[in-house]
Amino acid sequence: MNAPFFKYGLFGDEMSLVVAFGIGIAFGFFLERAGFGNARKLAAQFYFRDLRVLKVMFTAIITAMVGSFLLARFGFLDLSLVYLTPTFLGPQIVGGLILGVGFIIGGYCPGTSCVSAATGRIDGMVYLAGMIGGLLGFAEVYPRIEHLVKLTPLGQVTLAEQFNLPYGLLVFAVVLMAFGAFVAAEWAEGRIGGKAPDADSLLTPARKFGPARKFAAVLIALGLVAAFSGSPYRTALAQVDTRQLALEAGTKADHVMPAELADWIIEGRNDYLLVDVREPAEFAAYHIPGAINVPLAELKQDFARRNERIVFYSDGGIHAAQAWFLIRALGFPSVYMLFGGLEEWHDTVLNPAAPPADAPAKDQVDFARRVAVAGYFGGSPRRAEGPALAAPAPAAALPKLAPPPPAAPPVTKPATPAKKKKKEGC
Amino acid sequence: MSSPTDTPPREQPHMNPYWAGFGLGLVLLASFVIMGRGLGASGAFTTAVATTVHAVAPAHAEGNSFYAEYLGDGTASPLKDWLVFEVLGVFVGGFLSGALANRLKFTIEKGPRITNPRRLVLAAIGGALMGVGAKLALGCTSGQALTGGALLNVGSWAFMMCVFGGAYGLAWFLRRAWL
Repeated sequence: MNAPFFKYGLFGDEMSLVVAFGIGIAFGFFLERAGFGNARKLAAQFYFRDLRVLKVMFTAIITAMVGSFLLARFGFLDLSLVYLTPTFLGPQIVGGLILGVGFIIGGYCPGTSCVSAATGRIDGMVYLAGMIGGLLGFAEVYPRIEHLVKLTPLGQVTLAEQFNLPYGLLVFAVVLMAFGAFVAAEWAEGRIGGKAPDADSLLTPARKFGPARKFAAVLIALGLVAAFSGSPYRTALAQVDTRQLALEAGTKADHVMPAELADWIIEGRNDYLLVDVREPAEFAAYHIPGAINVPLAELKQDFARRNERIVFYSDGGIHAAQAWFLIRALGFPSVYMLFGGLEEWHDTVLNPAAPPADAPAKDQVDFARRVAVAGYFGGSPRRAEGPALAAPAPAAALPKLAPPPPAAPPVTKPATPAKKKKKEGC
Repeated sequence: MSSPTDTPPREQPHMNPYWAGFGLGLVLLASFVIMGRGLGASGAFTTAVATTVHAVAPAHAEGNSFYAEYLGDGTASPLKDWLVFEVLGVFVGGFLSGALANRLKFTIEKGPRITNPRRLVLAAIGGALMGVGAKLALGCTSGQALTGGALLNVGSWAFMMCVFGGAYGLAWFLRRAWL
């Protein structure tokens, strides 16, 4: 089994919306259970009356952190495929402060206000209305402050990478820190907030090994396992075996067929990065929708996230193959190239050849589908009976497509890479 | 607001915070495993706002780089979005939990020393600030603090510290609203 399931193609976009709804129900359920539909309960955090926000948040964080680490370490989950919001340090610090101020003034954060409104809290509903107003205001000034929002970019980076520490050790440290904070929180609630301790907590009952303490013991033990179990990433530090690579290069496993890629684009799949390794001028003249341009000479260690599925293409196959080998050798685990390059793309996707008139019906049906695909990408099928006769040479097809016909929907698609980044963030 | 005529069903106490957190953590973990992404909230409202603006003033929305980013490429409705469906679920899940615990009530949550209108004004101001802050930070407490926290994301941890800093920093001035 390979997780994340969605990114391994176990289900499609439509199904993912059903999953989203289900996950949302569970999310909302536990938020409400925690008491987060109540602004007063939330605000009590900041007067040491009831440090629920801290306890719930950090318990959730360490549970998911330890769980994802161990699942990744033992091969079930590819952690590098779990989306990481890029860091823009300055804007996130300022945004965090504004959010904190908004929290204490309004009493909620966006997620908790949904739960609050759903359970009838009028302040939660008004808060939501205020948030929509804030979003509108932000959107209207955004074009003028766009450059500020993009300041101090650090990329998609974890604390482990940033400080060059072992991931597992950090996991353990965060678990210890969290339980330290919980004990301090329980103490502060009693001392400063004057709150009677919960029935089941870390400091009480005095001598009993209650459920909360058992839970703490289990998580700390799992954290300790994490601390000593190395990197959670697949092949992140693996030695490159050039012979193995060479053998792999000879197989078909590293190819993506043009028709397959066309389907991915039409389905709107977002689990791969399409890279055009030709020169910028050629890229500008024509490129496959959604592709980014990284000329062969500029490919290096950090050109993309290590865990991203990367598909290279060039005019023919040679430059893409060179890129494939280079990037594989740098330790990127899932790298592919477009079979036959742009030439094959033109011949099979943009200008598919009609089968002979006496071909079986299955071929005719298949061709009809390919015509539709070609239409989507702004191409047109070759009409001649003998495909070889009327087939335009690939070189000739290139300039023809350079100014794509206005009716072609894919012309609007170069926005795809930006869109797929956005789609996963909050 | 609520004037029960019969004996009202008793409101159940909230769940032990550690177990609620554990449940929340499992939901987050399930999201990582099934989808390869974490939870979110504010993004759904941004999509809704962008879609509404686009419906009212299409040219205006398309000319604005912020809206454009949330409108997609026009091949599908922008509302057919993961976060939009997830947040719809949050409303349903919150309602279910509230109903099961007899906590559904039209009321205003506030401290005893503040009037209802003032509390609602503060709620609106807080919400507006939250909208701005969440967009600056590329996420809110769900998308950044919870999700990024569990993934050891650098920006998320910086963000989280600042949320607590901002709230604690201003808490003393707002004590009349809550205590």
